[in-house]
Amino acid sequence: MTLPFTHVDWAAIAPLEVLAATGLLVLLLDLVLRPFAPRALSLGIAILGTIVTAVTIGQQYGTNVAAFNGGYIVGNFSVLFGAVVLLGTLGALALMGRGGGDRESAGTIALLLWSACGALLLTGASTTMTVFLGIELLSLSLYCLCGLADRASAREAALKYLLLSSTASAVLLFGMALLFGASGSVSLAALATPAMVGNPLFWMGSGFFLVGIAFKLSLVPFHAWAPDVYEGAPLPITAFMTVVTKAATIAIFARFAYAALPSGASQVLLLPVWIVAGISMIVGNVGMLAQHDLKRLLGYSGIAQVGYILAALAGTTRLGLRYAFFYLAVYAVMNLGAFAVAAALSTGDAEEGARLETYRGLGARRPLLAAAMTFFLLALAGLPPTAGFLGKILILAATAGSGYLWLAALLLAGTAISLYAYAKVIMAMYRPDHRVRAAEPVRSAPLPWVSLALCLVATVALTFYPLLPTGLLPLVK
Amino acid sequence: MLLALVLLPIVAGSAMLLSRGEDRRTYRGIGVAVALATLAIAVAARSEDWSVPWLRAPFVANFHLGIGTLAFWLIALLALCTACAVLAVDSARPRALVGQLLLLEGAMLGLFVSRDLLLFALFYDLMLVPVFFVLLERSEHPRDAWRYIIYNFAGGLLLLLATAAFGVLHGTTDVIGSAGNAIAGAWAPWIFWGFAIAFLVKTPAFPLHTWMPNTYASLPAPVAAVVGAVQSKAGLYGFFVVALALMPQEVARYSGALIVIGSISLLYGAVAALVQTDAKRVVAYSSLSHLGLIVIAIATQQPLALAGAALYIVAHGLFTAALFIGLGYVEEREETRSLARLRGIGAKNPRLAGALTIAGLAMLGLPGLAGFVGELVIIAGIVQSGNIAVAVVAVISVVLASAYVLRLFQGIVNGPVVHDLPVRRDLTWREGIAIAPLLLALLYLGVNPHAVLAGGAVAIPRAPLSSTSGVPTP
Repeated sequence: MTLPFTHVDWAAIAPLEVLAATGLLVLLLDLVLRPFAPRALSLGIAILGTIVTAVTIGQQYGTNVAAFNGGYIVGNFSVLFGAVVLLGTLGALALMGRGGGDRESAGTIALLLWSACGALLLTGASTTMTVFLGIELLSLSLYCLCGLADRASAREAALKYLLLSSTASAVLLFGMALLFGASGSVSLAALATPAMVGNPLFWMGSGFFLVGIAFKLSLVPFHAWAPDVYEGAPLPITAFMTVVTKAATIAIFARFAYAALPSGASQVLLLPVWIVAGISMIVGNVGMLAQHDLKRLLGYSGIAQVGYILAALAGTTRLGLRYAFFYLAVYAVMNLGAFAVAAALSTGDAEEGARLETYRGLGARRPLLAAAMTFFLLALAGLPPTAGFLGKILILAATAGSGYLWLAALLLAGTAISLYAYAKVIMAMYRPDHRVRAAEPVRSAPLPWVSLALCLVATVALTFYPLLPTGLLPLVK
Repeated sequence: MLLALVLLPIVAGSAMLLSRGEDRRTYRGIGVAVALATLAIAVAARSEDWSVPWLRAPFVANFHLGIGTLAFWLIALLALCTACAVLAVDSARPRALVGQLLLLEGAMLGLFVSRDLLLFALFYDLMLVPVFFVLLERSEHPRDAWRYIIYNFAGGLLLLLATAAFGVLHGTTDVIGSAGNAIAGAWAPWIFWGFAIAFLVKTPAFPLHTWMPNTYASLPAPVAAVVGAVQSKAGLYGFFVVALALMPQEVARYSGALIVIGSISLLYGAVAALVQTDAKRVVAYSSLSHLGLIVIAIATQQPLALAGAALYIVAHGLFTAALFIGLGYVEEREETRSLARLRGIGAKNPRLAGALTIAGLAMLGLPGLAGFVGELVIIAGIVQSGNIAVAVVAVISVVLASAYVLRLFQGIVNGPVVHDLPVRRDLTWREGIAIAPLLLALLYLGVNPHAVLAGGAVAIPRAPLSSTSGVPTP
């Protein structure tokens, strides 16, 4: 039996191959070398492999290939979203380099890399089958990774994530089945025909599909799992989920919204999504107010930030997609930066940096880390001179420009609320506090510091040299 | 040069915040040197224009820096106030205070040299950060920091929304320094009010002022001096370069509302200043009153009133800074700001009392000092515009001003020495030098107001709008 695929197809997924092979290599080397080599070796190989993957994916920029009979489409869209996925993976790997954390063994690293493979697959997936394959590959590894830490909240997180994510997958799958029934094809592009507008199967299928996506994106009202899961999972995994899962799912949503919907149905079908995005901004930001755990706080923040990104897509304009991507990249950088600070304050499983009480009086004890955290929180809130500021204004322009003024107003309201929540952490760091004893300095590993510094530079640089890609469309062939 | 003007204080301030040590002399010395250097750079770079592209979509935005006429006076005021404030710092932890003062100066310099609305909005938000941090560290209650940041950030967000809408409709935000009706049609009122409310929060004006008295009272005196003297002018500057220059039609359409807001601020501020028991809060409410007068002047769009407003902006900055610094000295010596407790500074510390008196007299509008000329010209302009009733309100507020200034000084300066208050030495040379330039400038502008007036500080440059997508004006 010969496979009907040529080397063109295999070359198109070269980044995935490299990444998957790196995962295997890490696992195998660990098997052979475990008695001799430290964990740093696995980590180093993983980081190197991810960078090679990034180079491979970079070489695809500007090309346009529909591989595997249109199942995986390489284009600027997949390259750029893939870059964010790899950025998130690198960030998570860097956090694994914090002191202690013996549980994060070679197996963990391999799982993380394979999960990233699923995310990469999603950025190029353009049939319902590849979408499902990508989502499952991404999620299955994460189920294990979530339960890594030895504490009750981690087990709870893993179980919760498994159950809810499976439910979402089921809903998604049901939607896909209905869509297949409507169009007789697994291709997303096949849906974008006027004939679909009158087909009830299409409407139901799209509805279930979008609900599944909303689950994965933790949009209100499907958001309740996110903070719990983020709290329970280890720090690097939470960082990975907030960036990589979001980037990949937004890529799928954008492809569906831009390329798979017939023009007659698009505005009607997507209106609930924009409404849900608007509500997410408010609920996410209000939810942040009462948190005592940094991971929970950033989880709620993520709910709101996804709302902002979706707001840019409202109206499915060309500009909107560019700004959504820009904000996604900015969010990745500032979010990873905040996690890097938390990692620099943590030792292994204890994760002191995830508890907000650690930040009390930090300004006096660790001025550099406190300043960096302040910077990232202000960036998340959208204050200058950070790229968060520019990203917000671009989203505002895109949203208002396509006529969704109410969404722009919700965005502003959400931002105002969020500042209060972020500033509460900042206040804890800088308010002179006599109850704080001069805590023993935690020795931080160098890797989170490198990540932190890079994120800092990127967050400032993106303000002044905004990276607004062109040529993201077309998304399907 | 212009870039250096903005970056110098920011870099110096950041370096200071990251440095170690708490040697007052060193930090003060560096701070004063940086502030004076910015003044020198501003004078040297007065006619420069620097622009680098930033965004091309959804609207054109540039890093465009230049110094307009009004901006030049504000920059001079800012550099002078910062130098004086830094010199007046006498905290046990001077590093953070001087560092934040320099950051604040840098952010505000950026604001005043921005020729692009988006850049303007960026600095408008940025200048909140140093003040927020000073409040966090030094205020008695975190509530004050919250109030400050939430009010002003909300204002900043409105400015951001208005800027985005302006950019989308007009095609470019590189418009500061040009004039004409940039926006017309159904959106114009919304955009105008977006800008106006943002500016009124910052000024502040009634009813958006409630963050202000607490902020001014909680800030250490040197920072209060810069915030009260210059940051409060950012909104008024915005009115000049955005509202008046780019939307004169909207200003004319809503002048009634602005005049009402200004008049209420004027009267309410004056009356509230009469009953305060905290010396700093008296100055805070007086500020509400005085800036209300400027809002009225702006609403009339009378050239004379606007000229007066420009002069009064500078004068108000000078006497507010001098008063806050002076009251800071009083607080350091007597360890209280309560008007019920303070008595007899005149007998104990005659030099301090003298400085306070000059600043106070400028505030109540004594002829010969800059405040008088500003008020006089503004009121003349209001009369010229035909709003006699408003002019009457303005004059009433001037009378009230004498009342609260005299109450303040009766309380602090005159009267018998209170025995349970500590007796400390009079102003040192350093303290004297920190307040003298402000008083001298008040005197100079009082006898020679043409320095600002004749410079045509308000002559809005009549360069045509740089974009063609706007509606042409007749």
